[in-house]
Amino acid sequence: MKKNIQTFAWLFSAGSLFVACNNDDNSTIIEENTFGAAELYFDNGVNGDKLVLGSLYTNSNGETLTINRFNYIISNIVLIKADGTEYIYPKAKSYFIISEEADLHTVQLENIPAGDYVKVRFGLGVDQQKYLEGETAQQEFWDYAVQHNLTWTWSTGYRFINFEGTFKPAHAAKHEDHEEPGTGTPGLFNFQIHQGSNTATDNYREITLNLPTTARIRQTDKPSIHIVADANKITDGQNKIVLQDNLNAAGTNASIMGGENLIKIAENTLQMFFVDHVHNGSGSHH
Amino acid sequence: MNFKKIQRIAGLMMILGLFSCTSDDVYETIPADSLFPLKIPSNFPQIAQNIDNNFPTQNGVALGRKLFYDGRLSRDNSVSCAFCHEQQSAFTHHGHDLSHGIDNLTGKRNAPSVQNMIFQSEYFYDGASNSIQMLSIVPIHNPLEMDESLPTIVEKLKQDAQYVQLFKAAFSNGDVSSSNLLNALAQFMTIMISADSKYDKYIRNEDGGNFDQQELKGLNLFKNNCASCHETDLFTDNSFRNNGLPPNSKLNDLGREEVTGFRTDRYKFKVPSLRNVELTAPYMHDGRFGSLQSVLNFYSNGVQQTENLDPLLQNNSHIGIPLTQEEKEALIAFLKTLTDYDFVKNPLFYHKT
Repeated sequence: MKKNIQTFAWLFSAGSLFVACNNDDNSTIIEENTFGAAELYFDNGVNGDKLVLGSLYTNSNGETLTINRFNYIISNIVLIKADGTEYIYPKAKSYFIISEEADLHTVQLENIPAGDYVKVRFGLGVDQQKYLEGETAQQEFWDYAVQHNLTWTWSTGYRFINFEGTFKPAHAAKHEDHEEPGTGTPGLFNFQIHQGSNTATDNYREITLNLPTTARIRQTDKPSIHIVADANKITDGQNKIVLQDNLNAAGTNASIMGGENLIKIAENTLQMFFVDHVHNGSGSHH
Repeated sequence: MNFKKIQRIAGLMMILGLFSCTSDDVYETIPADSLFPLKIPSNFPQIAQNIDNNFPTQNGVALGRKLFYDGRLSRDNSVSCAFCHEQQSAFTHHGHDLSHGIDNLTGKRNAPSVQNMIFQSEYFYDGASNSIQMLSIVPIHNPLEMDESLPTIVEKLKQDAQYVQLFKAAFSNGDVSSSNLLNALAQFMTIMISADSKYDKYIRNEDGGNFDQQELKGLNLFKNNCASCHETDLFTDNSFRNNGLPPNSKLNDLGREEVTGFRTDRYKFKVPSLRNVELTAPYMHDGRFGSLQSVLNFYSNGVQQTENLDPLLQNNSHIGIPLTQEEKEALIAFLKTLTDYDFVKNPLFYHKT
């Protein structure tokens, strides 16, 4: 009898411990075959500062940029667990647009198998496989991208990043002539950087980021993964792109839309993102 | 007759036999062709090209359209005609003052609109071509644009079974050849007529042509100040003129002189049609003006006495066209009535994948 009581007592206390744990934090349990939601929030910044359209930012090339547009395509999202298993978000639904000017910052994901995720992977731009499906097969996303200035024409494809504004070069140009730059203001030039693929190069890149805190997706818990995107990395990453060196033949603006520069930018963008923090729990966003 | 010779002849006959078997076994259906129903707008000037020797047909147009949107016409297969001639901006290079072509090289001119081609006698800002059938040679060969040659393109297309079929369907000799390629592109360009703007409806008394006060004022100002060069309902007299743009020394573009070699043609550029001008910014041969307001500011205050300045811009010792801001706004309102939304959305001119 004594033994039974001891056993029962042990079981009872263990049981109550179990129940107690449950009450405090029931999201440690991952119920099989349940699903939840998550969001990726893209916080756009410039070299540690918040990106404010119309503000001035000076980079390490000595050029001062005013950014008037920063839009980009995020795609092919994959959530990764500690043991390496990947949940690949359904491709057909995995194309999103982030736009500073249109206040689009969030990627909403649904029906994700409940679990603890420690990494996220996403693509910057549109992969060749998707593009080659043809315009009709992706008319809805194409039209959406058109609205946010993230396309050229179908035959030339999507713009993965649309980064535009004005800049003051590090050293004023010599005034041998009196042509005005495209801005109409001496010393101030327009720039447009349109990242994308072309038949010569595939500039689509995928970026894998560690989550500093595990993202817990449950039926009732939706994490918000806060990603910082540093726009400064586009011209001032491991590859330096001096806008003044890229002025067009007329000297009016720096337009970077093809060639070697896009390959350099693609490389830079691999370092453009990091996960700043993860909100677990209700997932409701500030 | 020795044995070897018999062997050789037998071998040859076998090979020929194989060929004849092949052509009997594979029977290809070639779709019937028919003339394209080309409608000439009643308010347009005379056609300026000979289209009878290459009248557009349904199959010819379909082939020309596919070619227009095909990057294989360029050296690295990346630059098609549509790369710089985008339908939604009336077949200009949206937002580009100068276009970039192959290897991201920048040209020195703004991409002109491909529209109403059969009503023009000469093409390009310097008139480098006077033939709708030949003009495609120029961008194809330009090392800054497509940097390719016709024979190489023909070799590429011959490898594509679909193109072999399309060429057979479009031309009686059925060849994948340079001349058929140029003719197909010409047929496609022939049908690209833009004549259904609000202005056209007004002029032809059709529904949707009600001009408001400002547009009517603009029309009147246009007739009195602009129509001497931007003449007819095509809004160009197809001539070459110097409108007093200060030369850009970085580009050093001599204009028509580069084609004719005559000093008297220096700085003269083709008067462009103003149809769809609302959609074709930036403006002028080097795309230096980003808005119609800038263009009119130039005409009122910016015209310079450069070599060969057009006499029409030198009136009574005044250089340029004096305009008040109110007049400029009315002119801009009028110019917007030249936009033909059907043209820039017409699926006939678009290659959808």
